[in-house]
Amino acid sequence: MVGQAQSRMNDTELIREAQRGNHAAFEELVRQYDGAVLRLAYHLTRSEQDAQDIYQEAFLKAYRNIGNFRFECSFYTWIYRIVTNLCLDLLRKRQVRKEDSGVTTDSEGGTYDLLDQVADQRSGASPERDLMRRELAANIAKALKKLTPRERMVFELKHYQGLKLRTIGEILNTTEETAKNTLFRGTQKLRAALKSVR
Amino acid sequence: MNCEWVQQNTALYLYDELADDARHELEQHIRRCQDCAAELAAQQDFQAQMNALPVEEPSASFLAAARMRLQEALETAQQNRAWYHRLAFDPMAWMRQVRFSPALAMVIFIVGFGGGLGAMYSVKGPATATAPPVEASIGGITSIEKEPGTDNVKVQYDKRMPASVQGSASDPKVQDLLLYAAKSNENSGVRLNSVDVLTSKADDPRVRETLTYALRYDSNPGVRLMALDGLGSYVKQDIRVRNAVLESLLNDSNLGVRSGALHALEPVRADSSVRMALQQLSKEDPSEYIRTESKRVLASMPNIY
Repeated sequence: MVGQAQSRMNDTELIREAQRGNHAAFEELVRQYDGAVLRLAYHLTRSEQDAQDIYQEAFLKAYRNIGNFRFECSFYTWIYRIVTNLCLDLLRKRQVRKEDSGVTTDSEGGTYDLLDQVADQRSGASPERDLMRRELAANIAKALKKLTPRERMVFELKHYQGLKLRTIGEILNTTEETAKNTLFRGTQKLRAALKSVR
Repeated sequence: MNCEWVQQNTALYLYDELADDARHELEQHIRRCQDCAAELAAQQDFQAQMNALPVEEPSASFLAAARMRLQEALETAQQNRAWYHRLAFDPMAWMRQVRFSPALAMVIFIVGFGGGLGAMYSVKGPATATAPPVEASIGGITSIEKEPGTDNVKVQYDKRMPASVQGSASDPKVQDLLLYAAKSNENSGVRLNSVDVLTSKADDPRVRETLTYALRYDSNPGVRLMALDGLGSYVKQDIRVRNAVLESLLNDSNLGVRSGALHALEPVRADSSVRMALQQLSKEDPSEYIRTESKRVLASMPNIY
């Protein structure tokens, strides 16, 4: 009953309730955004474990800091800002350690090749087409590694997550124009990288 | 509007980021300029290529696992917060403010929260007076990292905290746990019970996704049969269910599951993949029962031209 009442509240009311210590309100906020957060973290990191860690840290940070949320931006922007900063930290760490292989670990420690996700699971799919798709996905993964963490983040948010550049600018604490320029640079690098493997 | 501007903005055009007037002018320019038209085509091709790494929605069990872990951490954080508020003195705030003398022999930082979160001990010097974690409460050591050139070690571990929840199978919290158990539990009896409860909720696509996973991958034939039972009504309307059932018919190691899959596919009258599979099975399957039943089901299907 309480849960149904909470779902009818808008974000502002939920946030205020969460700031007053209402745990159900905070959980309702989490549920509104957590699918999108996990989707972003997983597609960017290509690791179930890393995606879960980012998800966990993002919402714990939100929980700890919700008292400081002053409605200067939307909650959506605020949550995405937390998540993207965590993703950027991970990308920078990987760059230093030269990680980011094509092999991914799931949350139970098993490894699998993310490119298996690209395969067409329908019975009767063409093996040749499947192989081509996997090779292309491998080339794309290599090309993405050539971007700076920021370029990759902007490209991910624009191309894969479909956010508006204005929103991306807000999330990254910059201007829409800067986000546009970052997207342009990233796109040029990716096109050049993919051309060179053909 | 010049070519340089157009070529720099084809990506924005394709992402629908241009203002209306700029979009209109770009379209007019491309009609007249072959080079810019070629650039637009190349950008379109590139964007299509990048979709070879599609964004997928997290599976129901993946999301359920993440939610469960977060729930445990939030409960611990809530308890800690309540505990701190009862004290006149906040030890965490104190630790942030106090400056430690470099002459101190040992410093221990405990960061994070228990219960589902890793707890980190960074020990400089001899072990602390704090009681070491009780072995029975440790879920597993997840990582050990040594800081090069020092004696510092970071040990990350999980703690187990038994808990229970009770409620309707439609309650999101209960359902998340059921979805998680159906895919991840070591005990086949628990997986069977989860799938049994979930079969009544198969109208939810998340539940169907988990049942499909169980049908494809569970090691226990009883669990696979139970999942098939829940999915049977969706064979016609949900192509992913139909594919999974067809794969079971072709590849499952258990004859009972294969037989169940065959009967589940009977209402599907117009799918050529099903028809082709049945034709092959009616001639080549090692099981006489499957051959006979495949022929019978084929005979009842209308011809498709």
